[in-house]
Amino acid sequence: MDLESNYEIHRTADYIRSNNFARVALQFPDEVLKDSTRVAKALRNELGRGVRLFVMADTAYGSCCVDEVGAAHVDAECVVHYGHACMSPTTTLPAFFVFGKASIDVSDCVQSLHHHLSSNNKPILVLFGLEYALALQDIKSAMAMSLPSTGFSPMIHYAEVTSSVVNPSGDRDEISEQDTKDVDLNCDEKDKTSKSEKCCKLGTDTIYDLGGLKWSIPMDQKINDYLLLWIGSEDSAFANIVLTFNSCEIARYDPERRQFLRDFFHQKKTLKRRYYLVEKAKDANIVGILVGTLAVAGYLKMINQMKELIERAGKKSYTLVMGRPSPAKLANFPECDVFVYVSCAQTALLDSKDFLAPVITPFEAMLAFSSGKEWTGEYVMEFRDLMISAPQDINHIQEARFSFIKGGYMEDKMKDQTNEESLALLESSKAALNSIDRPSNSILFNGSAQSGVDFFAARSFKGLKMQYDNPSPTSYIIGRSGRAAGYDDEKKLR
Amino acid sequence: MVKFTADELRRIMDLKHNIRNMSVIAHVDHGKSTLTDSLVAAAGIIAQEVAGDVRMTDTRQDEAERGITIKSTGISLYYEMADEALKNFKGERVGNEYLINLIDSPGHVDFSSEVTAALRITDGALVVVDCVEGVCVQTETVLRQALGERIRPVLTVNKMDRCFLELQVEGEEAYQTFQRVIENANVIMATYEDPLLGDVQVYPEKGTVAFSAGLHGWAFTLTNFAKMYASKFGVDESKMMERLWGENFFDPATKKWTSKNTGSPSCKRGFVQFCYEPIKQIIKTCMNDQKDKLWPMLSKLGVTMKTEEKDLVGKALMKRVMQTWLPASNALLEMMIFHLPSPSKAQKYRVENLYEGPLDDQYANAIRNCDPEGPLMLYVSKMIPASDKGRFFAFGRVFSGKVSTGLKVRIMGPNYVPGQKKDLYVKSVQRTVIWMGKRQESVEDVPCGNTVAMVGLDQFITKNATLTNEKEVDAHPIRAMKFSVSPVVRVAVSCKVASDLPKLVEGLKRLAKSDPMVVCTIEESGEHIVAGAGELHLEICLKDLQEDFMGGAEIVVSDPVVSFRETVLEKSSRTVMSKSPNKHNRLYMEARPLEDGLAEAIDDGRIGPRDDPKVRAKILSEEFGWDKDLAKKIWCFGPETTGPNMVVDMCKGVQYLNEIKDSVVAGFQWASKEGALAEENMRGICFEVCDVVLHADAIHRGGGQVIPTARRVIYASQLTAKPRLLEPVYLVEIQAPEQALGGIYGVLNQKRGHVFEEMQRPGTPLYNIKAYLPVVESFGFSTALRAATSGQAFPQCVFDHWDAMSSDPLEPNSQAGQLVADIRKRKGLKEQMTPLSEFEDKL
Repeated sequence: MDLESNYEIHRTADYIRSNNFARVALQFPDEVLKDSTRVAKALRNELGRGVRLFVMADTAYGSCCVDEVGAAHVDAECVVHYGHACMSPTTTLPAFFVFGKASIDVSDCVQSLHHHLSSNNKPILVLFGLEYALALQDIKSAMAMSLPSTGFSPMIHYAEVTSSVVNPSGDRDEISEQDTKDVDLNCDEKDKTSKSEKCCKLGTDTIYDLGGLKWSIPMDQKINDYLLLWIGSEDSAFANIVLTFNSCEIARYDPERRQFLRDFFHQKKTLKRRYYLVEKAKDANIVGILVGTLAVAGYLKMINQMKELIERAGKKSYTLVMGRPSPAKLANFPECDVFVYVSCAQTALLDSKDFLAPVITPFEAMLAFSSGKEWTGEYVMEFRDLMISAPQDINHIQEARFSFIKGGYMEDKMKDQTNEESLALLESSKAALNSIDRPSNSILFNGSAQSGVDFFAARSFKGLKMQYDNPSPTSYIIGRSGRAAGYDDEKKLR
Repeated sequence: MVKFTADELRRIMDLKHNIRNMSVIAHVDHGKSTLTDSLVAAAGIIAQEVAGDVRMTDTRQDEAERGITIKSTGISLYYEMADEALKNFKGERVGNEYLINLIDSPGHVDFSSEVTAALRITDGALVVVDCVEGVCVQTETVLRQALGERIRPVLTVNKMDRCFLELQVEGEEAYQTFQRVIENANVIMATYEDPLLGDVQVYPEKGTVAFSAGLHGWAFTLTNFAKMYASKFGVDESKMMERLWGENFFDPATKKWTSKNTGSPSCKRGFVQFCYEPIKQIIKTCMNDQKDKLWPMLSKLGVTMKTEEKDLVGKALMKRVMQTWLPASNALLEMMIFHLPSPSKAQKYRVENLYEGPLDDQYANAIRNCDPEGPLMLYVSKMIPASDKGRFFAFGRVFSGKVSTGLKVRIMGPNYVPGQKKDLYVKSVQRTVIWMGKRQESVEDVPCGNTVAMVGLDQFITKNATLTNEKEVDAHPIRAMKFSVSPVVRVAVSCKVASDLPKLVEGLKRLAKSDPMVVCTIEESGEHIVAGAGELHLEICLKDLQEDFMGGAEIVVSDPVVSFRETVLEKSSRTVMSKSPNKHNRLYMEARPLEDGLAEAIDDGRIGPRDDPKVRAKILSEEFGWDKDLAKKIWCFGPETTGPNMVVDMCKGVQYLNEIKDSVVAGFQWASKEGALAEENMRGICFEVCDVVLHADAIHRGGGQVIPTARRVIYASQLTAKPRLLEPVYLVEIQAPEQALGGIYGVLNQKRGHVFEEMQRPGTPLYNIKAYLPVVESFGFSTALRAATSGQAFPQCVFDHWDAMSSDPLEPNSQAGQLVADIRKRKGLKEQMTPLSEFEDKL
C-alpha cells in the first residue's frame, strides 16, 4: 500500500512545519496501529530531528475523538489524528485529521449514481464517509463529464469536507458564546425542525454541518425534498445521518460490495427503540451521568447542564467517569435507573441489551427530563447543538405524568420550591425513616429508590461490619492457588 | 317523566333515608337497558326546561348500532309512594318522596370493569334474568361481584312477553321455569353469602322477585296481585302473597286452598290461577281484538283506558292495556324502595369493605352513619369524558360529609400511603354537578349518600381516588376496586403521519383515563400498545381514541399481539455454570418447574414476598410438599419482585454468599422479565443456586461482576430445563340451540379449542357449552361462530389460565419455534435465539 498517499505524509509535514510545532502526537485507532511506526518514520524523514513525534494508541474513549488528555501527557502541541474521525471540535489542542483513503470503484459508483438519478425525481444530495473524501473528486469529475449530456446537473449536490484541521475553540466560556444557539426544542413550531442540526442561514442558502461534512441547499427547499445518498460503509457516521434526517429518503452505496442499499428498516427500528428509552428514562429516579469524552469542546458545560436539568426534574444525579462503558462497569451502579452518556456524536448511541439500565444521549435526556416535552421525531446527536446559555423555564404542567412503561399516571417527586433550607434536613430524615418501612425489594429492584442513600439502606449486605461478634482471631488457612480459569485443586478433581 | 328544577332535586338529596342507589346488572341481552328505559320513561327526572326535548336513553351512537350497552350510565328517578303503599314499610323514612339513582351497566363480559365501577357506588342491584335463557355466565359473574361489594340484590324475571307470545307456554310449565330461574340465582347468592349482609336470597312471596316484560313496559310483583285479592279472600296481604307462590293450590270449584294438587281439573297452583292466567287471558283478548270482551274485564280490574287508546288494535292495544294495568315502573320501583337499603342503612355494613383504615376512627364512623356533618369521604369510581375535548368529570359517590363547589379537597390516589406525600394532591373542586338526564346542573353542594360529578379535578385523578377535606390528614383512602377481568388482548398503534405522534401520546393518556380497564403501554421496541379485556372492548377503545381523543387523526392498528410466558418442563439436565466477566467468580444453578398451582398461588397473593416466612413455609410444606427449611431459603420472587418465579438458595457453607445475594436477585429480576426464548416474562420456574465460587477480594465480586453473570446462568439453566412457551387460554361459554352445536364444534376445532362441558339447560332447548380456546386463536372467533351458526351462538370469553405449548421452542421448525422467531422479529431482536454456549461457561 502506498504509505505516502494513504497517510498524506507530505501534507501532514507541511502542516506541522507551517505551524512550527515541536512536539506532535500521532493518534492511531487500533485497526491501523500496525502502520504507526512506518508513518512515524516517514514523517521524521520529512521533518528532520527538530520535531518530536509521539505515537498514541488505545484511547480511553472512542477512537474517533481526539485524545487531548493523552496528548497532554507528552506535552504535545498538536495532534495528528488518523483514521475515522467524528470531527468534534477540540478544547485545547489543534488537530490535523488524516482520514486515509479507502478504495472505491469510481466507474461503478458513477454508474449507480446515474441509475439513481434517472429513476428518481428528487434531487440527490451526496454524502460520504470521510475515508472516501479523496475519491469523491474523481466521482465528481466523472459525473460532471457525463452529466451535461443528460441535463441533470442541478439535480445533484455534493457535500464537502469542512476542513482537515480543527483548531481548539479556546476558552471554554467563549465556546458557549460562539457555538451555542438556543435550540428551540419546542417542537410545535414546524418551521424550526431543521434548526437543530448545526445549520445556519446565510444569504439564500441553508448550510448544514454534520460530522465533518458541510453542504448547503437553497433556502426555498427543505432537506426532506432530497434523496440523501451515502457513499461509505454502514458505520456510526452513517447511523448518525440516518437518525438526524430520519424523515428523509436515504440510500447507501456500499463501495466494498458495490451495491446500492435502500432498506433501512433496522435504523428505523433504532429510532423507535430510542423513543422507548426516553419513555423509560422518564420513570427514573436516579440518573448516572457518564462522562464519555474529555476532549469534545463544551463537555463540561454539557455535564453541568445535565446535572441542572436532572435536579430540576426532581431526580438525583451522580457523575461517573469510567472510560468506555461496559455492562460490567455499569452494573456496579445498580442504583442508577438510567445513564446519560455525554460523548461525541458518533459514540453516543449505546444500545446493548446487556446493560442493566438504559444508556441515553443528552438529547434524549432533555426530552425525558423536561416536563411537557414530547418527541416529534426529530433527533439531535451532537450535544453542542443542545447547549443553552440560560436554564430554560420548565413550564410546570399540573397534570401528573403518564408513564407508558407502567401504563398509568405517575407522580413525579418535584422539588418543593417553598421548601426552606431548614426543612430540607427534616425532609430527608423523614424520607430515610419512610424508606425503612418500605419493603426493601421494591427499592432494590423496582427502581423506587430516591437516592443512593435509600438504595444502600435497603441492601441486605452493607459491607464489612466494624464490630465482629467474635473478636478472637480465626485460625490461618491456606487458600487456593492457580489461575482463576481453573484453580489447582479443581484440576485435581477432574 | 318528572319535571324538576335543580333546587327541587337537591332538596330530596338531603333525605338520606329516602335515597336508593342501585345498579341494573345482568347477562348480555337480557334486557337491562330496555327495562331501564321503561323506568326512566315513567319516573326519570329531567330538567324543567328541556322536558320533552330529548330521549333520556339517547346514548352513544355505537351503542345504538350494536344494540349493546358499552358505558354505564347513571339516571336519577323520582317516585312518590302513596301512604297506602307505605303502611307496611318498616324502615326509616322522611315523607313519601323517593330519589332513586339508577345505573345501567353493560352486560358484555368485555365491559365488566364498568359493572365493578357501578357497583362500588351503589347499595342495591336489580338483577335481570331472561325467563327463557335463565341464569347465564355473566349473571353469575356480576352477582358474585355485587355480593363481594355487599350489594343487596333483588331479581326480576324479564322477557315475560316471550312466554305469552312466542312460546305460549301453559301456566304450570311457566311456573316451573320461573321457579328454576329463581332457584339458580339463589344458589349463586347462597354461595357468596356474607353474614353481615344477611340472607340475600330472593323470594317471590316476600316481594323481592318481580316479573317483567321490559319491551312492553309492564311488570308485577306478587304484592300487586296480593293487594288485589286480599280483600276478596278476606286475608291480609302477606298471607295472600305466600299463597301466590310455591306449593299452594286453589280449586275454584271447591273454593279451597290445598298444599297439593288435588287432581281435579279446576285445581291450579295459586300463581297460575291468580297471576298467570289473568294476564294470559288479557293478552289473548287484546291480540284477538275482542274488544267487547276486553272492556268489561278491564273495568273489573279497575283499569280505565283513555278514549283514543281504545282505538288501538293488536299488539299496540295489548301493550297499552298491560302498561296501564301493571305499569313496570310502579312494580319495580316499589320493590326497590321496599327491599333495597338506603345509603344510611347500607353503609353500616359496607364500611368494613370500603374503608382501609381502622374501623373505629372518625372517618369509619362517619361512613357508617352516613353523616352529612362528618368529614368528607368520597370515592371517585370513574372519569366521564366531558363535552369539551380532553376534559373529564370525576364521577363518584359521597359516603360521608358534603362536597361543595370551591371546596378544597385532599385527593388520595391509588398509590397513596397514609403519612406519605406520594400520590396526594390538595385541590379545589371547581364545580359540583348533578345529572338531570342528559343535562348537567351545577349545585352548591351534594350531601352523603348521593352520586356526584366534579369539575376541575381531572388532572389529578388518574382513574379512581378517594377525596376528603383538606385538613383531614389522617384519613385513610377507600379501598381500590378489584376487577374481575384483565387486559389480555393487545394491539400496537402508531400514527399514519409521523408528526402526529404527540397527538397519539396525548390521546392514549386520555384513553387510559376514560376507561378503568384499558392499559396503554410501550414495548421495548418503541411501539405503543393498547390492551383491553377483549376484542370488542379494544375495538371500542380504539374508536374512542381516534375519534374523541385524537381529533380524528389517522392511526394504524397492528394485528392483535398476544403476550406469552416462558416456563420449563423439567429440572435442568445438569448443573450449569457461568463465569463473571473477570473470570474470578462462578455461579452454579439449576432450574426446575414450580409445583402445580404454586404459580397461581403467587398470582393470587397467597404466597408472596411480604408473607411471614413461617406462614409461607407452612403453606409450601403442607400444600406443595416443600421441605420446611428450604421454604425459608427463598431469596426472592420475580419479575417485579412479586412474580411467579423464585430463586432458592441451595448452597452449603459458601463464603461471602450474603454479599452477592442482592446482585444475584437483581440479575434474576432482569432475567425473569426477559426470558431467554423470546424475552417474554418467565412463569413458574424455580431457580436453585447450587454453588458459588467467589474471588477473595470484595472488589472483584461486586455487582458489576455478579449481576450480568447471574443473568447468564439463569438463562443457561432455563435453556437446559426443557424450556416451553405458555400461551394464554380463554374460558369460552356459549349458549346456543341444539341445531347450532355442529357449527360451534366445527369452529372450535378449527381454532384449536376444546369443549369440556356440554349441558342442556333444563326446560329449554338451549345448550350451554364450556370450552378452552387459546387467546391467539380468538381473534375473529365471534364472527366465525356467528357465521357458522347463523347468528344463534354468542360466545363470552374470559381469560382463564396459561397453557404450555407442547412443541419445543428450541426446534426452529416447530410451531413454538416459529412463534419465538415471530415474537423476536416483532421486538426487533435477532431472529436466532442466543445459543446456550453464550450463557454457559466451561471450567
